[in-house]
Amino acid sequence: MAATETEEKKSDALIDDENEVPTDGLATARRLWDSAGRERWRLVVAVVSAVFYVAASLAAPAYSAGLVDLLWSNIQAAEAAGETYVVTLDNGGMQILTFLGIWTLAWAFYAIQSLVMASFAERLNLGLRARIAEKVGRLPLSYYDAHQPGDTISRATNDLDKVSEVLQRGLLQIIISALMFVGAVGVMLSYSPVLGGVFLVFAAASLGLTKLVAGKTIRVAARRQEALGVVTRKVEEAYSGRTVIKAFGRDGASVVDVRAAADELAKTSADADFITNAISPAIRLLVRLAQVSCGLIAGAMLLAGQLTVGVFQSFFQFVTTATEPLTQLSMTVNMLQGALAAAERVYALLDAEEVVPDPEGPAALPDPVRGRVVFEHVAFGYAPGKRLMSDVNLVAEPGQKVAVVGATGAGKTTLINLLMRFYEVDGGRIALDGVDTRDLTRADLRRQFGMVLQDAWLFEGTIAENIAYGKPGATREEVEAAARAAHVDFFVRTLPRGYDTVLGNDAENVSQGQRQLLTIARAMLCDPAILILDEATSSVDTRTEQAIVRAMEAIMENRTSFVIAHRLSTVVDADLILVMDHGDIIEQGTHAELLAAGGAYAELYRSQFA
Amino acid sequence: MNNETWERDYSRRTAFGLLARLIAPYKGLAAATLLLLCCDIVGMLLVPTELSALLNSVTSGAGMGAVWRHGATMLVASLLGSLGCIASYRCAANLAAKVGRDLRTSVYEHSLALSTADFNRFGAGSMITRTLSDANVVQQTLLMCFTMMGPAPVTCVVAVVIAFGIDPVMGRVLLCVTLVVLLISALAVKKSAPIFLVMQGFIDRMNVRLRESITGVRVIRAFGKEGYEQRHMEETFEDYAARAIRVNLLFAVTDSMTFFLMNAVESLIFWVGMDRVGAHAMQIGSITAVIEFAMLIMFFMMMAQFALLQIPRALACLSRASEVLSTEPSIADPAAGAIAGSADGEKVAAGADLSGARADVVARFDHVSFRFDDADEDTLHDLDFVLRRGQTTAVIGSTGSGKSTIAKLLLRFLDVTAGSLEFGGEDVRGLAQAELRSRIAYVPQKAWLFSGTVASNLRDADPDADDERLWHAVDVAQGAFVHELEDGLEARVAQGGTNFSGGQRQRLSIARALVRRADLYVFDDSFSALDYKTDAALRHALKDELADAAVLIIAQRVSTIRDADQILVLDEGRVAGLGTHDELLRVCPTYRDIYESQMKGGN
Repeated sequence: MAATETEEKKSDALIDDENEVPTDGLATARRLWDSAGRERWRLVVAVVSAVFYVAASLAAPAYSAGLVDLLWSNIQAAEAAGETYVVTLDNGGMQILTFLGIWTLAWAFYAIQSLVMASFAERLNLGLRARIAEKVGRLPLSYYDAHQPGDTISRATNDLDKVSEVLQRGLLQIIISALMFVGAVGVMLSYSPVLGGVFLVFAAASLGLTKLVAGKTIRVAARRQEALGVVTRKVEEAYSGRTVIKAFGRDGASVVDVRAAADELAKTSADADFITNAISPAIRLLVRLAQVSCGLIAGAMLLAGQLTVGVFQSFFQFVTTATEPLTQLSMTVNMLQGALAAAERVYALLDAEEVVPDPEGPAALPDPVRGRVVFEHVAFGYAPGKRLMSDVNLVAEPGQKVAVVGATGAGKTTLINLLMRFYEVDGGRIALDGVDTRDLTRADLRRQFGMVLQDAWLFEGTIAENIAYGKPGATREEVEAAARAAHVDFFVRTLPRGYDTVLGNDAENVSQGQRQLLTIARAMLCDPAILILDEATSSVDTRTEQAIVRAMEAIMENRTSFVIAHRLSTVVDADLILVMDHGDIIEQGTHAELLAAGGAYAELYRSQFA
Repeated sequence: MNNETWERDYSRRTAFGLLARLIAPYKGLAAATLLLLCCDIVGMLLVPTELSALLNSVTSGAGMGAVWRHGATMLVASLLGSLGCIASYRCAANLAAKVGRDLRTSVYEHSLALSTADFNRFGAGSMITRTLSDANVVQQTLLMCFTMMGPAPVTCVVAVVIAFGIDPVMGRVLLCVTLVVLLISALAVKKSAPIFLVMQGFIDRMNVRLRESITGVRVIRAFGKEGYEQRHMEETFEDYAARAIRVNLLFAVTDSMTFFLMNAVESLIFWVGMDRVGAHAMQIGSITAVIEFAMLIMFFMMMAQFALLQIPRALACLSRASEVLSTEPSIADPAAGAIAGSADGEKVAAGADLSGARADVVARFDHVSFRFDDADEDTLHDLDFVLRRGQTTAVIGSTGSGKSTIAKLLLRFLDVTAGSLEFGGEDVRGLAQAELRSRIAYVPQKAWLFSGTVASNLRDADPDADDERLWHAVDVAQGAFVHELEDGLEARVAQGGTNFSGGQRQRLSIARALVRRADLYVFDDSFSALDYKTDAALRHALKDELADAAVLIIAQRVSTIRDADQILVLDEGRVAGLGTHDELLRVCPTYRDIYESQMKGGN
């Protein structure tokens, strides 16, 4: 496994809970059937083949009863005649070939079934995954606010894998197992109600045993799960706080701690593994006891002439045929339920509400875009009924630097979220160069902005690729120039492979500050009409920040920019300062005006520079 | 041999080597598992043998007595087999769990011996995988080897031997069947094993792509790259599906081939068997037994095949674990004397002795340079300064100018690449790491707290500290909020300290360092989350508290360090100035730049 996925590993290390139950299994099954689309014929063909396969599989041992009797009587006849019996085509061979023929028929149906199904589940999954890929781009940001990334990822990977696993083997297995069991028991009963009855008693006993152990398995598995959780938590914590452990010489204590947790896990997982594995030999024991009982009775019946040799051996073949499905049935039913529950989660994702579609005939922005941004009576709340902004008004003239200040949770980032249309306003309107942003396509609107966020998102790829993300055709010179402007060029060159260094998700050689600088370089390369810096330099020192701001100012001359910052030193020269509190703008003006007003801004300023 | 195969063979060898070492302590258990497994199989094969013997005795005219006799042996065989099997599963589960545990703990223990650079080469995420889920895969696969793979060879051998006992011709038939099935299985495994490993890579790619698309959703939309990301994701999904279908097809083909073989074998045994019965070489009931043997052989071969396919993955996990285990810590304690338990704060006998060192100079940087492996430029270049008892030294500079590296060198998380660094008059490379670190109290840049209580976190610095000392440290660190917590020092701390605000975490992290009595206190950018007022009060309190020790403060804010006895200004890893605030303002343009950038508008 690649070394990049911390969170996946966590879930991967856990053992799946197979005992989930879907809320509406039938409806989900019907939706899966619909989703199968053009692949549906495969399932039909497979089910039909499975039925024929079972029929042929039952016919073969039944036929063998007569076959053995025939051969046996031939042998005895030959013996009576004082000859040595040899199998020839006329002398039983034809029947053996017929027997092979029946098996071959069974094999053919089996092969058809498994070949047809080989791609059914994966094609169905691919269709659903493609829909998820599309969905990811259409879900509103509020969806991601409410759901952990790992949750969505696991729906697209683990959950669909569960579905495919069951469709691949489980579904047909259930059909085949059920038919096979019923058919085999039927034949056995027809051979001898007594023998069949004895077998049924043991079959019932083994079903009871499975049920009994299943309850215990769940309890033991839960204990293992818990112990695994403890080890996972301890190890993750220790690796994250490694520096502290080493700096304070707590290595030994931490080893003792982890070892104790690993010990507990070893105990519980030995128990869990034992129980899950021990069930099949336990059932096998019951089957063997059934064989012994049947063997004794059948032996007596044989002696009494109530049974032929052929029926005797055929009966025991059916014992094998009937017991195999018995063990599989209970397991596959659990799996099927788990898979339907997983499919339900996938459909819940696909059913989630999407963003409002772009307008049919979108408006056009003037060319070139001037960058005048107007908020008129904007109202907004992240959750319905919980209003954050009630009436926000502001005008950013082209080329102005607009600074937004305020405490955490005051709504600074919300302002940007609305401007970029990551969320839709609940009331009022936002206009860019006089055009309501809702009349534009999102792509057209967002193309005008270069955005740098506090949370510096970089993808797995080289540094050069990351910088060129917004401008795929950029040359290496352009990339390096942007990096120099963002003051990250020196740092990049100290890395082992320079601009070709691959950034992983847990690239620890790149600090948060440096990641921010890389995202600034990325935004600079795009040369946007409007620049948004949302705490973009919060992890960067002030001197570098000043240098970057200077470099940007050169680029952004006569272009509108929005700057959110907690350091007032970077906002004092703004053309317009917006002071936000509880979602609304409580003061706006220039630095000098706001200081003179002696309000919230003046207070904030004094606390930082007193 | 090309490089790739060489590497593969090498990693395979190390994987098996590691496995052998892991199992070695449990040889007895492993032997017991195998022995019990043999019981299981002998019992399993005796049941059909006895059943056919029962049939034979009836057809050859024996009475009910023979039936009872064979019934009794069948019963014994059943019990022997099934109980043996259950017992062997118990042993196997214990063995696998112990091996898994040992792998986990040894990787974890070794990770602590690694230097920061060694550890970061793997990365925390990958190390978590190696410690947790890799060990899990190894454990589960080992269990499979015993429960699913083990029975195959034993069954083949025992069944063929019994069959030879029944009739040599039948024995030969069964031998041939075994060989053919073996061949098919080997081919299937050889073909599918590499695909399985590749599949794992595709699954990882799906995860990475999805994660990026979700965590980066704002940036992706801001750059209008939704379509691009969607195509990217679809591509990885398609690649995965194509591979998965290929694996499924391969399985379907081998599966039905085995199925066909079963049928053909059954007919063949009928044909040949009846001939032999006709020739009085064997009895009719034995045909059923031989057929049963053949079916069991094929069944266990298929199980073994399934288990075999898991092995490459387990080997990969093992060789990744051994990658960690075989990494020689790039920073090691001096060779003199074995440093067995360099842990737990116990005094280590090896290396130079620092006790009694009360010299004025606590640490000396003597033309120190540091460069990461393969990097083109020094991260730190030619640092030359001294940390004195009773003095505060500050380091200021841009992001990425190498400030934190200085702290890491002092704690020997990294080693200098040129020049030398002395602590208490000794080169740090001549000191045991535990001894060196016990002399330093460190406040890391990231204020990490462990799950537990406030007290348990503070006592990480000194397990013997009493509550009074803890409270004192909390008060000096401006941690008044702890008094307001319902449980005070016993208040619960979540992993990482996430139930405290950033400023509170930072103050607790400072308090932790203050609990320790040390020669040197290192504050790595530890005041950034504090408001200006708290910052000032804290610095004032520290002045008295640490009057007898050397203090190193790494900071971004000039206001935090302006009173320091000496300030080291770093610019791209080089010393741009060294002196007091006033001196530097006069002579150091870099420092003046920094100062002005922060005082702008402040006048």
